[in-house]
Amino acid sequence: MTATDVRPPRAAGPGRRRRPAPAGRREILLLMLPALVPVLVFSVGPLLYGVFLAFTDAEAGFNHETELNGLANFGQLLTDDDFWSSFRIGMIWAVSVTVLQFVASLGLALLLNQNLRFRGLARVLSVVPWAMPPVVIGLMWRLVYHPNAGILNATLQDVGLIGQNIDWLNDFSIALPAIIVVGVWTGMPQTTVVLLAGLQSVPKELHEAAQMDGAGVWRRFWSVTLPQLRPVIVAITSLDFVWNINQFGLVYVLTQGGPGGQTRLPMLFAYEEAFRYGFFGYAAMLGVAFAIVVLAVLGIYLWRQMREAS
Amino acid sequence: MRVRSVLAAGAAALVTLTAAACGSGDAGGGEATSAGPVKLQFLSLAWQKESIAANKELVETWNKANPTIQVEYVQGSWDNVNDQLVTSFEGGEAPDVIHDDSPALSGFASRGYLLDLKDKLPAELKGDIPQAAWDTVTFSDGKDGQGVYGVPFLQESQVIIANKKLLDEADVRVPTAEEPWTWDEFAEITRKLTKPGKRFGVAWPMKSPVNKVLNLSLNFGGTFFQTDAAGKSTVKVGPEERQVLQRIHDQLHKDKSADPSALGMGTADPLPGFFDGKYALLPAGVFLRQQVVEQAPEGFEWVTIPPLKGTSAEQGAVSQTLSVAAQSKHPDEAVKFISFFLNGPNQVKLAKGDWLLPTSTSAAKDSSINAEKDGWDVATASAKNLVVAPFLKVNGYDEWRTKVATPALQQYFANKITLDAAAKTLVEEGNKVLERYSS
Repeated sequence: MTATDVRPPRAAGPGRRRRPAPAGRREILLLMLPALVPVLVFSVGPLLYGVFLAFTDAEAGFNHETELNGLANFGQLLTDDDFWSSFRIGMIWAVSVTVLQFVASLGLALLLNQNLRFRGLARVLSVVPWAMPPVVIGLMWRLVYHPNAGILNATLQDVGLIGQNIDWLNDFSIALPAIIVVGVWTGMPQTTVVLLAGLQSVPKELHEAAQMDGAGVWRRFWSVTLPQLRPVIVAITSLDFVWNINQFGLVYVLTQGGPGGQTRLPMLFAYEEAFRYGFFGYAAMLGVAFAIVVLAVLGIYLWRQMREAS
Repeated sequence: MRVRSVLAAGAAALVTLTAAACGSGDAGGGEATSAGPVKLQFLSLAWQKESIAANKELVETWNKANPTIQVEYVQGSWDNVNDQLVTSFEGGEAPDVIHDDSPALSGFASRGYLLDLKDKLPAELKGDIPQAAWDTVTFSDGKDGQGVYGVPFLQESQVIIANKKLLDEADVRVPTAEEPWTWDEFAEITRKLTKPGKRFGVAWPMKSPVNKVLNLSLNFGGTFFQTDAAGKSTVKVGPEERQVLQRIHDQLHKDKSADPSALGMGTADPLPGFFDGKYALLPAGVFLRQQVVEQAPEGFEWVTIPPLKGTSAEQGAVSQTLSVAAQSKHPDEAVKFISFFLNGPNQVKLAKGDWLLPTSTSAAKDSSINAEKDGWDVATASAKNLVVAPFLKVNGYDEWRTKVATPALQQYFANKITLDAAAKTLVEEGNKVLERYSS
């Protein structure tokens, strides 16, 4: 009923607004200016400059004259084995962290959605990692993973699971899984909070109705909770994926991309190219290429999800 | 919103690039008004407690004696100094006087970041430091000339720190600088010192293996790089280069006299095991003596063993350096400060603070760094074995080291690949990397 009441004025809206528009638009622009200027100067400007750099041979140093070189950087990137191995590592990292984060957070959110004792306290505690900057998290986990003085080795030795200390962050095969664990831990709070909010908006009536029809706990989870959560899940996993693939600070502190490049995520690779070796143009192209890859992966994922939903 | 955050996040690297162009604004040194004193910023990388104290004390002395040239001490860190310097050079905010080491200078020099000190140094300082040390800071200027891009002041040689009690028990010869252990003798002694299941003869901490292996390889004439007439460098791994690699590998996997679990450690990490008697010998830079003195349990007896000898006892040397930024507004004052900071008596203080070897010939004669206590006599005597490390002159060495050589050597020492495979990677992948820098 209310919807039909509201609709007519809304439909007439654009027509009415059109007349005072010129003056209004100018005012709106004027009012937006203070907010827009910093965005243009500090965000859009550097972004465009970065994209421009990607098509030049910019290098560090005063002896080098920067020239446009078209797609040469891109060509170099396609044949660069180090880039592809970094790309592979980045994908393993982003996909596994996102998936594990989602599974763990969903479990935690379901638990926190139950009517438990101390639920409020538990909810607060689960958000604590969110309050820590990535660098602090990295330093903390470096202590946990420390080969001789770390709590992890000490605990595992006490329990008798390992005979001698493991150097978690320097072992060629363990380093990547080890930082993935940290990545999952770091990203869990926001995923949990979002999923919890989603869970709370699932109508109780649906559960009750399903229960009346004789659906068990699992059945209700699959057929009621999950479909209701779907938009939230799609949103948070896509965001998580983007955050994870662009992760830098955490891994920089933990391993600096070592041992032997086994944890060199794409952003670390770009950083090294730019600030360590001084190839600014090539590093900028890496950034551009990665933005495109992320957009493509995300586009396909969202498109499929939308199609299934409709 | 999502698209924008993707773009923004995806281009995080791009944004940071321009941060260089924006400048950080926190390094506003060198702004002198006509009335006030000249202000210089001095980026120091001292990190040991004694060394920081020595550095600060010298700056204070200078400031008191020179009211017209005031120096501000800025603390930096070896971990990220080169990234920091690239951004500050590009942003035009570099400190005037820069503490770094010679491997980093080569790249900075060819990019035009540093001031050529060739004609600016006072004769006294020039004469006090031997030519071999000046060679470690002489680089191409990126165009056609050569320049001197820093003043070398502290050098490191590789010695072996040994558990005295275990040496005496095994009744091995304690070598002297005149008659050092050969590598063969060293291998035999480590076998003798090894008690299977209880103790290893030696621990090779190989977290950063490349500089160590390359410096030691000069014992057998292994240079790892060759430079053709046109100045283009390529990697070579011949029989000379394979000597040290093979010998360490033998200790690890054939003689089993070296602990394989020490491979992932940094230089100071094996110390607890060393004090515990788990390892008898610990190859390390001379600076490690400081940590031994500080951390050794009561009554622990140790000696410093002079550098090993192959076909010669030569080792590759790199130096810690002080340079002047090309952008500095007060280069002459900066050079004056450096000349004071690195004179003989002051180098003694700095060398003692860092437990390294001074380049100054007058400082090297000082009695306090020639005493027998804490191995100073052995350490100071080892300075005569130092020659300029060949890799210093190779443009792109840093990328070769981190991307190619570190993983290859780590895998070789962990016995995951053969020496032939490691050599092949070092040469083929390595030349590809060096190619980027030759244009």
